[in-house]
Amino acid sequence: MKAVLAPIMMIGTLVLSQAALAKTYNGGADMSKLIPISTLLNDAQKYTTEPVTIKGTVTRVCQKRGCWMQLASDKKFQTLRVKVRDGDMVFPMTAQGKTAFATGTLKIHPLTLKQTNQRRKAQNLAPVETAQVLHLFAPVAVTIED
Amino acid sequence: MSWFKLNRSLHRDIGYFCIGMTLVFAISGIALNHIHQFNSNYQVTRTSHTIPLSGVDIETDEFESTLLTALRLEDKIKARFWQDQTTYKLFLEKDTTLYLYPQQNEVLIEQVKPRFLLRQLNFLHLNEARAAWMWFSDFYAILLIYLALSALFMVKGKRGVLGPRGLLVLAGVAVPAAFIVFYSS
Repeated sequence: MKAVLAPIMMIGTLVLSQAALAKTYNGGADMSKLIPISTLLNDAQKYTTEPVTIKGTVTRVCQKRGCWMQLASDKKFQTLRVKVRDGDMVFPMTAQGKTAFATGTLKIHPLTLKQTNQRRKAQNLAPVETAQVLHLFAPVAVTIED
Repeated sequence: MSWFKLNRSLHRDIGYFCIGMTLVFAISGIALNHIHQFNSNYQVTRTSHTIPLSGVDIETDEFESTLLTALRLEDKIKARFWQDQTTYKLFLEKDTTLYLYPQQNEVLIEQVKPRFLLRQLNFLHLNEARAAWMWFSDFYAILLIYLALSALFMVKGKRGVLGPRGLLVLAGVAVPAAFIVFYSS
């Protein structure tokens, strides 16, 4: 009987822990530094060193490792990807549609023309003649609200 | 009790204690190794529906209500978003996303469900629980080191590692060493 109960209890505890999946990472975002994503992207260089908090609806999440999530900007069609090193934070796929706050800094990655058009092709967009810049937000703390 | 008997007793009892953790790390290890072939965290199902959308104002409460009825979804919409100029997304409460493609008169329903048990095992393996689990994992790792070393002294004489079975120990060391030699640098 004991031999049966032990694994059942272990599995039960693990399954129940699903409900307790953390919605804050590293203590949660600093709400006193909140700025709109469009403001951040309009003055990108400034926010590569100045930590701020951004807010947006989670529109996509890395399906396999949860290492990034895409936030909707306050500006139409504009998004920003929040990216962490694998394992630093794991964003659940079930966060889609929820509101996320992330505190951190912006990283600017200039792309080559080839990389630019590869990304645009993946997004079903027409190719362009000039290379673009990729913006990624590197968070130190995150809060995901229902 | 002699040190030999004590070692065997400890090896046995610690071995019993480590069964649960070993299963957690072994099962999730296989799952995470193959996560690019099989998403062990989530079951994602997608179904496509043809619904007249062109010429319809899809950014209204009336349309959303009609759409949910047409798709037989008893759920509430919690967020809306234009992914790009051709894709409008509606996020429902119960981990469901609707992709609306007005130009194609198509609606894609994407449902995400955490996989039973595997999601929790991966949660532990990737240390999403952080601090306390990290310390417990360190403790488990120390116990594994003890199990590995104490195994060398489980059987005396030539029936143990001093005999031909010692080759098994060497093989277990040689395999990772070979990977380092051939694949690192």
